[in-house]
Amino acid sequence: MSTSTDPKALLAALYDDNHRWLRAWLYRQLKCPQDAADLTQDTFIRVLDARQLTQLEEPRAFLSTVARRLLFSFWRRKRLEQSYLDSLALLPECYSPSEEDLALVREALESIDRLLNGLPARVRQIFILSRLEGLTQPLIAQQLNVSLATVERDLRRAFLHCLAESAELA
Amino acid sequence: MTQPKVDACTREAVDWLLRLEAAGEDRDLRQAFDAWLHASPEHAAAWQRVGNLLQQPIAALHRVEAHSPGQLRAASHALMTPDTVSRRKVLRGGLALVLFGVSGAALLDRAQPLNGLWADRRTATGERSTFTLADGSRLSLNARSSVDIQFTEQRRVVHLREGQVFVDVAADARRPFVISTAQGEVQALGTQFMVSQEAAGSLTSVQLHSVKVTTQGGHQRRVEAGQAAWFSEEWVRPVPLSAAGRVDWRDGRVDIRDEPLGSLIDALRPYRRGVLRISPQAAALRVYGVYPLDDAEQTLQSLAQTFPLRIRRYGPWLTLIDVQ
Repeated sequence: MSTSTDPKALLAALYDDNHRWLRAWLYRQLKCPQDAADLTQDTFIRVLDARQLTQLEEPRAFLSTVARRLLFSFWRRKRLEQSYLDSLALLPECYSPSEEDLALVREALESIDRLLNGLPARVRQIFILSRLEGLTQPLIAQQLNVSLATVERDLRRAFLHCLAESAELA
Repeated sequence: MTQPKVDACTREAVDWLLRLEAAGEDRDLRQAFDAWLHASPEHAAAWQRVGNLLQQPIAALHRVEAHSPGQLRAASHALMTPDTVSRRKVLRGGLALVLFGVSGAALLDRAQPLNGLWADRRTATGERSTFTLADGSRLSLNARSSVDIQFTEQRRVVHLREGQVFVDVAADARRPFVISTAQGEVQALGTQFMVSQEAAGSLTSVQLHSVKVTTQGGHQRRVEAGQAAWFSEEWVRPVPLSAAGRVDWRDGRVDIRDEPLGSLIDALRPYRRGVLRISPQAAALRVYGVYPLDDAEQTLQSLAQTFPLRIRRYGPWLTLIDVQ
């Protein structure tokens, strides 16, 4: 392993020494060579962005921590997309969306899901019914069999959560 | 808790949004809100922040929904189910049930026609039809609609495959009259009602007396004259009577009362060949009036003269409507 302190050389060394190992590690989790290669690349990009690179004591522990975080959001995206496709499968074939539509929906789903992340199921559901489907508060209360006060409280909570999250991401 | 990260102005803006949405038309509240909004630039900025929240992805989903119906439901379904392992199980279970329901019905369809009890009726694009059934009931089909009719000793069932049907039921105390859709059944408790099969679910509206809706999942609800309700496999949701629930199409017109232009365009769709796409901005314009259905092109022209619309045609198969 290199002992240089030049960030570029450090990254190059980190990459040379570990990218094969990381890709193999990711492949074991993902069972798909393309996804594993993509996430390997993403992990190194994240490492490059993340910090002033210094000599790492445990480079593989560090890399796998970063990769695990990416893996988590990768699975989350996959699940979201699969859930959407499952619901779509119930529609007649003539309604199957174009590739362009799919890309739009996927992107929209991810950005909404990112902000809603961490909210309890009912709060999420109420927020979606209100903002996405445009249901009024009384209709939501009726449909979910909860009080109007609960709907209002949950909506407020979801709004504040999303606003805080979006401020953080910005 | 992430909430303390949000400043006081933004919290106030959220409160205002929720209050305004809950209140409907309330002039006093509206005035109080205007006063708050103009009291400081920070209020205006906070209001904008709240209004802009997720606006882009939500608009994108609405856009896709406008030309590929059902997407919004699928998307919101995906978002609503919490991100746990059990979600997948629940979803799979639900899907299996629904798929079984569909294929069960499909099998029945194939088994039955041979016994002569079935009579398919359909209308083409731009065509309407009214006819009398064996029991004396009168059935009207809107354009691009189809039904299968199955009368037995016990029940009179009309399966609505697509489109809209209006029925004036002849009394027969021994045999209930039912219109079934992919999501459930509407049983006549009186005489006149309408059922519409849409991509996202079913809509029923009652013109005289009442009906009973029973969804595939067993949920029931009575709908009275002058009312309308949407239903899926799992719920029945009363909705205000709108253009979609009125039956003026029987007379070749659509009666629209301060409703979004999108609803009028939806009513025109089965009367035109080709794809009619409308932008969310244009779809949101409020419309009031009675429009003829039979000359959909003429109706589009007159709309373009009344509203700030831009209508672009790409051959007979694609028409785009947008605000100017």
